[in-house]
Amino acid sequence: MRGQALKGHLDGMLLAALENGPRHGYAIMESLRAGSDGQFDLPTGTIYPALRRLERAGLVHTTWSEEGGRRRRVYELTAGGRRTLDEERHAWAEFSAAVTALLGPQPRPATPRPVTP
Amino acid sequence: MTGPPGTAGPAIESYLAEIAAGLTGPAGARRDILAELAAGVADAADAHRRTGLDPAVAAGAAIDEFGPPERVAAGFRAELAAAQARRTALTLMTVGPLTGIVWITAAVTSHVGRLAPPWEWAGLPADARLTTYLAGLPLVAAIGSILFTVAATGRLTRWLPSRPAVAAAVAAISLAAVDVVMLAALAILGATTPGRLAAFPLAAAGAASLARLGMAARAVRDCVSLDAVCPRVGG
Repeated sequence: MRGQALKGHLDGMLLAALENGPRHGYAIMESLRAGSDGQFDLPTGTIYPALRRLERAGLVHTTWSEEGGRRRRVYELTAGGRRTLDEERHAWAEFSAAVTALLGPQPRPATPRPVTP
Repeated sequence: MTGPPGTAGPAIESYLAEIAAGLTGPAGARRDILAELAAGVADAADAHRRTGLDPAVAAGAAIDEFGPPERVAAGFRAELAAAQARRTALTLMTVGPLTGIVWITAAVTSHVGRLAPPWEWAGLPADARLTTYLAGLPLVAAIGSILFTVAATGRLTRWLPSRPAVAAAVAAISLAAVDVVMLAALAILGATTPGRLAAFPLAAAGAASLARLGMAARAVRDCVSLDAVCPRVGG
């Protein structure tokens, strides 16, 4: 699953990846990959610029941390980021409920058809 | 910066160099992006090495995972244009009022003999009020587009149109128009009322405007060139 369908929800998913605490870029990417059971294998080119945009929007806060001689940019949700995550989650719940109602598995017929030999 | 010596490896070094070659924009933002990518690729290589790959193969797998360098660089173009736009707007926001203060000081102090606002200067053409309008309109446009650029590259970035570099260029052009009007007014004043005005404060104001014109020209060039290479939504 890639492309436009995914892109519209990237902000929300990135914010969700930070919900349980600060993470650096590669850890966010791994969490998206693992959390989606390998379905969301995004090219990095889309993740890092999206994180910078979220930072400009004031939804995440970044600091540089140095560990094992490697300098990493660490992302953390701001209060505004938490609010936006709640909104995105709410919007997704409504949207997916509507799509499931229309596209979901066909309901079983009320009475089972008689088995014909 | 990429990690302990020997972990990056020549393949990753040259991959990062190719990405660096594809990035244009403010130096600080490019440095940040490259430092972050370097750590990310090194982390990816580590992850592949933990699955049992040898270091060279792991580095190659990390590079594949990040994608072709030109594509990675292209992904940052909109961000770099936004960084340039924001920087331009904040610079104009600082330089604008400073130039204004120099002009107001010049206007008040340049009347030989006593302090007087320019509209009380003897010999000033009666229609000098036109200058106020000619300079006032682009000044309002400049202030508006500066504020828009700051908002569009900051808190409101998810809601406002995605070409802030154009707004920043409009701000710089508007401010340049203010300077052109003021310089023209200064030239006319010099020609029509020779010897009646103190030269030094007005020369200082003229120099400030000339400097700001040069700055605006560079800002327009930077913003327009970065906006031109931005991928367009749906394009």
